[in-house]
Amino acid sequence: MPKLTIDNQSVEVPDGTNVLEAAKRLGIVIPHFCYHEALGAVGACRLCAMKFEDGPVKGIQMACMVTAQEGMVVSTLDAATVEFRAHVIEWLMMNHPHDCPVCDEGGECQLQDMTVAGGHTLRRYRGLKRTYPNQQLGPFIEHEMNRCIQCYRCARTYQDYCGGEDFGVLGTNQRVYFGRFRDGRLESPFSGNLVDVCPTGVFTDKAFRFKSRYWDLEEAPSVCPHCGLGCATIPGGRYRELQRVRAGSNRQTNGFFICDRGRFGYGHAAHAARPRVPLVDGQEVDWTQALAAARARLDKIIAAHGPRSVALLGSSRAGLEANAQLRSLARLLGTDRVVFAAHAPRDWTARTLAAGLGAQASSLDDVRRSDCLLLIGADPLAEAPLLALAVRQAVRGGARAAIIDPRPVALPCATAHLPLAPWRLGQALAALGDNDWSRFEGQEAVFLEGVHEALAGARHPIVIGGADLLGPAGMRQLLELARRLSREDRPCGAMGVLSGPNSYGAALLAGDGPDFEELSNAMITGEVRALICLESDPLTQAADPAHAGLALARLDLLVALDSLPTKTLGHAQIILPTTVTAEGAGCFVNNEGRMQTFMRVLAPGLPLRETGGGGHPPRLFMADTPGAAPRPAWEILAGLQGRAASLAELRDALAREDVRFAGLTALAAESEGQRVADAGLALPATRVEDYVPRDGELALLVCEALFGSEETAFYSAPLDPVRPEPRLILHERDAGRLGVTPGEQVRLHSAVEEVVLPVEIRADSAPGVAILPRVRGSLVEAFVPGVGPQPCRINREVDHA
Amino acid sequence: MSGYPRVLFKNRRPGETLFLDDYLAAGGYAGLRKALKTMTPAEVTATVKAAGLRGRGGAGFVTGLKWSFFPADQPGEKYLVCNGDEMEPGTYKDRQLLLADPHQLIEGMLIAAYALQAPVGYIFLRYAYEDCARNVERALGEARRAGFLGTNILGSGFSCELHLHRSAGRYILGEETALLNGLEGRRPNPRSKPPFPAQKGLFGKPTTVNNVETLANVPHIIVHGADWYQGLALTEKGAGTKLFGLSGHLNHTPCVELPLGVPLGEIISDHGGGVWQGRNFKACLPGGASTPFLTRAHWDLPMDFDTLAAAHSRLGTACVTVFDEGTCMVAATLNLNRFFQRESCGWCTPCRDGLAMVSWLLEKIESGRGTPDDIPMLQDQLRNISGRSFCALAEGAMGPVEALLRLFMDEVEDHVKKGRCPFN
Amino acid sequence: MSQILPQEQIDAWKERVTGHAHPMELVVDVLRAIQAHHGWVPDAGVELAAEILGTTPLRVEEIATFYDKIYRRPVGRRVIHVCDSICCWSRGAEEVVGFLRERLGIGFGETSADGCFTLLPSCCLGACGEAPAMMIGLTTHGNLTPARILAILAAESGEAAP
Repeated sequence: MPKLTIDNQSVEVPDGTNVLEAAKRLGIVIPHFCYHEALGAVGACRLCAMKFEDGPVKGIQMACMVTAQEGMVVSTLDAATVEFRAHVIEWLMMNHPHDCPVCDEGGECQLQDMTVAGGHTLRRYRGLKRTYPNQQLGPFIEHEMNRCIQCYRCARTYQDYCGGEDFGVLGTNQRVYFGRFRDGRLESPFSGNLVDVCPTGVFTDKAFRFKSRYWDLEEAPSVCPHCGLGCATIPGGRYRELQRVRAGSNRQTNGFFICDRGRFGYGHAAHAARPRVPLVDGQEVDWTQALAAARARLDKIIAAHGPRSVALLGSSRAGLEANAQLRSLARLLGTDRVVFAAHAPRDWTARTLAAGLGAQASSLDDVRRSDCLLLIGADPLAEAPLLALAVRQAVRGGARAAIIDPRPVALPCATAHLPLAPWRLGQALAALGDNDWSRFEGQEAVFLEGVHEALAGARHPIVIGGADLLGPAGMRQLLELARRLSREDRPCGAMGVLSGPNSYGAALLAGDGPDFEELSNAMITGEVRALICLESDPLTQAADPAHAGLALARLDLLVALDSLPTKTLGHAQIILPTTVTAEGAGCFVNNEGRMQTFMRVLAPGLPLRETGGGGHPPRLFMADTPGAAPRPAWEILAGLQGRAASLAELRDALAREDVRFAGLTALAAESEGQRVADAGLALPATRVEDYVPRDGELALLVCEALFGSEETAFYSAPLDPVRPEPRLILHERDAGRLGVTPGEQVRLHSAVEEVVLPVEIRADSAPGVAILPRVRGSLVEAFVPGVGPQPCRINREVDHA
Repeated sequence: MSGYPRVLFKNRRPGETLFLDDYLAAGGYAGLRKALKTMTPAEVTATVKAAGLRGRGGAGFVTGLKWSFFPADQPGEKYLVCNGDEMEPGTYKDRQLLLADPHQLIEGMLIAAYALQAPVGYIFLRYAYEDCARNVERALGEARRAGFLGTNILGSGFSCELHLHRSAGRYILGEETALLNGLEGRRPNPRSKPPFPAQKGLFGKPTTVNNVETLANVPHIIVHGADWYQGLALTEKGAGTKLFGLSGHLNHTPCVELPLGVPLGEIISDHGGGVWQGRNFKACLPGGASTPFLTRAHWDLPMDFDTLAAAHSRLGTACVTVFDEGTCMVAATLNLNRFFQRESCGWCTPCRDGLAMVSWLLEKIESGRGTPDDIPMLQDQLRNISGRSFCALAEGAMGPVEALLRLFMDEVEDHVKKGRCPFN
Repeated sequence: MSQILPQEQIDAWKERVTGHAHPMELVVDVLRAIQAHHGWVPDAGVELAAEILGTTPLRVEEIATFYDKIYRRPVGRRVIHVCDSICCWSRGAEEVVGFLRERLGIGFGETSADGCFTLLPSCCLGACGEAPAMMIGLTTHGNLTPARILAILAAESGEAAP
């Protein structure tokens, strides 16, 4: 812990801290462009100069490049240093177009700030400015190279941190250019981070282009709702419209970056079909009428059929407080039929993880620091994209990463992949735990033995499993493996990949309660007559949507609370519109059991839009804000209980009654969050037998995809351009046997549906498995992931005809 | 000509290249034989260090000292790289060496590789030196066939493979870490030091980079010893001979081998045949485009590393470019600065943009559009670029600018005052 | 010259890359080979190099656009690099450039109407003792005078006849 003096103030910093960071600790912020905490120091911009007056280093040096050492005496105010920094700004501004008035970065532009802070006020250079042509970089990013100050942050983010290979540095001297080989969409799923890291307006958010000035935006710290990792985000809204999302920073989870799904998934808030007003039997009503009607109809059903005729369905999309209110409502109504996930296998897998994770819980930061990682049945880019970045950072630091998965899992870093059929993942986990390879042959045994050896010899090993492919039994085995690999001096971490932002929280609330399959059976038999659905869409989210459809059809009453225009709403007699994440406040529990709060960014309302055809200015005048009716689900559920409670009161009550959430009241926004206290749950004893195809048969495996499959992002217009077309992935051996060629149309016969779609042929997937990435709103809509391998038959479409 | 001993050029014949048979006949590979058969690697390094050989590529770092930092005992991959990216304007000595006597370099590299225990070496040659590349390629083939190169060289148990790399332009590759990036197929931006190449160089392995002429000296040092080598120089502290490439306004512009410490005036009058067209000497670059100008006042200055440093300049590559009395020093400095500006790799701001600012100012002054404000502005550019860039390129660019403002301020002011270049 | 690189050369490069610990070490060599055969490196040449080296076109382009002796735009059958650095400048490089411009009817970066010569400025060619100098293809010509330049151009255009 060296102690040094900066501007006559002394500061003690951890070993290895650079002097720029040390100064920051004292509140002395020296302008800098190329340095970034996540990207490191490269000494390119030369802006962070300080004068080293005494100690082991002398003279004017770049503070980012100097490691703090005992006895250093540093000045940031030294005249020559101040003059130098002003010169650097002057040089950087030589070619800058000074187009701030038309630049989207204006107001949140580091170059503007640093130009002012650096004292460059008079333009002396009167020569020609160098100019560049720009590139079309796809639907997300606008390119304006003339603004570039060559800090190299974009290329270092894109290539070094994110592993992208299609964007980089071109040219030399004063003509250095940051772009692609030719025009085209940036291939990296992390491309949006260019917007955040660029200190000026070279890369701006295309979907946000010319919408708002930074200072006009309403912003608040939030948590990304598009997977289970809980990345920190900062959504921004204006004119009642959620207009953009930028990355927040949480050193335990995402660090400084987010994925493009998280960045551009916000469009669901402004979806035209979003429920905006309470509806009873299709009639618009006010909230008092709506709540009264709901309560009256529920009471009537309970009076006729008893309290257990009412069931409640929560979800991983809803916050912890809303789900907890659902539980309170169930208690008030006197029913024990409350479930927190529409997808029963996912529900049980999450419950298994929540019950058994304990001290082995690992954060994304633990993954980044790990030296040996095993990913089994997990496809990070599809299921939890930032996990892929965390694995990459570990590998960059020298870690080994092995993947066991039937899918052609590709990470932006060097990994070893064993394509193993889904029904053999459990065997692999058992083999790794028992150090017994007898059920594997040849290369497979060698691979597994190598993985075992690497995990056993590592200092910080972590095993990571995906809920959808492992299922409850596999998740249990994963946790057992981590325990067996742990030694007193060296624990082995574990991480489960869950689908929803609050899957873990929902699982904690579910405890040993029933699952949705039980619930839907009770609906079909008529035992359950009414269902309250909290931000859940069983018609697309249940493991068996068709079965869920039958169940919903039997209900006397469906009360649906939602912010998305889901299919399920079509069956509801009473619709209670809720706010989206950014419009309310609440807490999500991420996949490692970390509670994190999100704050309200903006109030709900119909986005203000310019309209043509005489629609503007509006000719109707009213006192209410259009589309402002949606309320936070916890508030609606409290209302159904006849209570009007604040979020703080609800949190206090939850923290008091459920010790696992004791940290909830003290939870601050923009913090690193806090892990839930020990779950105290018994591991559920569930055994699902996987379907194992016989020789020559193919099994169908439906899985998640980066774009087009996540529920909330599906409703986001900015992501429309990247929605994939459905395709079926076959191993080359199976394709050869079927006689199909790449891109050829095949007919897939399955218990779900019969569909015709093109094939992609791979050499790196597991033979015997046909892989179908989920695409919502397409012809394969009915296929749901997380249900294990299913029997199927595939023919060439030409033969069919 | 002079009676000075010829070492590096002892086999040089006009228009001819010496290949293996003649090289052997002239005593070639005796140094390698001696090193491998009678010396330990550490002894080789110690001898080179004792000889006082300093790097001939421009920086003048003591070669033996550089080698002594190299982890020769560490097992695994290690590399020796010969820097043949000779590209600093005025500098053409390595080319003369490779056109005359390519085996001398190969022998020097093999001895160096032995001292460093590096099993692999690279010879990095600039694009424009295709003639040299062909000579080296042929010489490598001959050496391999003769058993000087490859496994178990001369039965010593030492093995070494040398590869030739042809580059594709750009001065920055002469910077050793940029050169390593270039060899690896990365963008040739310089790397930050530390780590130094001796710790983490080519492909992340210990690497030493030496200039062509530096390595060519090694066989002679091994054969004749450190004392002999030190005795070659005319200055007390200097060691060895040096190739001086003459250019500019001289009657003759040969590349000559002279002892270190020969006075500047002697080089100009005796070897350059005096300033051309009967004109007077005005100034010169003593060792390449990055070395501050010398003037008539330095006529008797001994040309060696320390003496030139004391005269606010540098020996650099010892390739002397002479300017006659009719030369506009603003125009000359502008030409030099434009070179550095164009060859900047674009990594750091003072170099990428600062040099452009300097060119703009010099061009303004030279074209007669300069204002009195431009001179202090030029001075503040100099003050803020010097010592503040990522690598030495911009530092080198400031050499002539600094000398212009120190030695020829009246000429600069004259441009501004007259509103035109007084030499036009 | 429509072909970027003959198939046997492509195969030979691929063979060298196979088992090479650091394939990117060969990137400049591959680009130079393409240029030697095709005269310059078109987009398809960058893509071919990427395919040979097992990397992305962008990674190759990052290198190709750094070096000034890799031509990423069409050039004439012969590229003239006139040295404009200090030694040649001091001995009449500007006059050499003027003469070439006039003679060929082109400026820097342009190609003569007959497709024979492209004129480019170059930094020091290492021919300072023979200044002024220029390089055509891989051959350096020093001690340039108008007469010598005419003779060199005549010889080069004769050799480079389409």
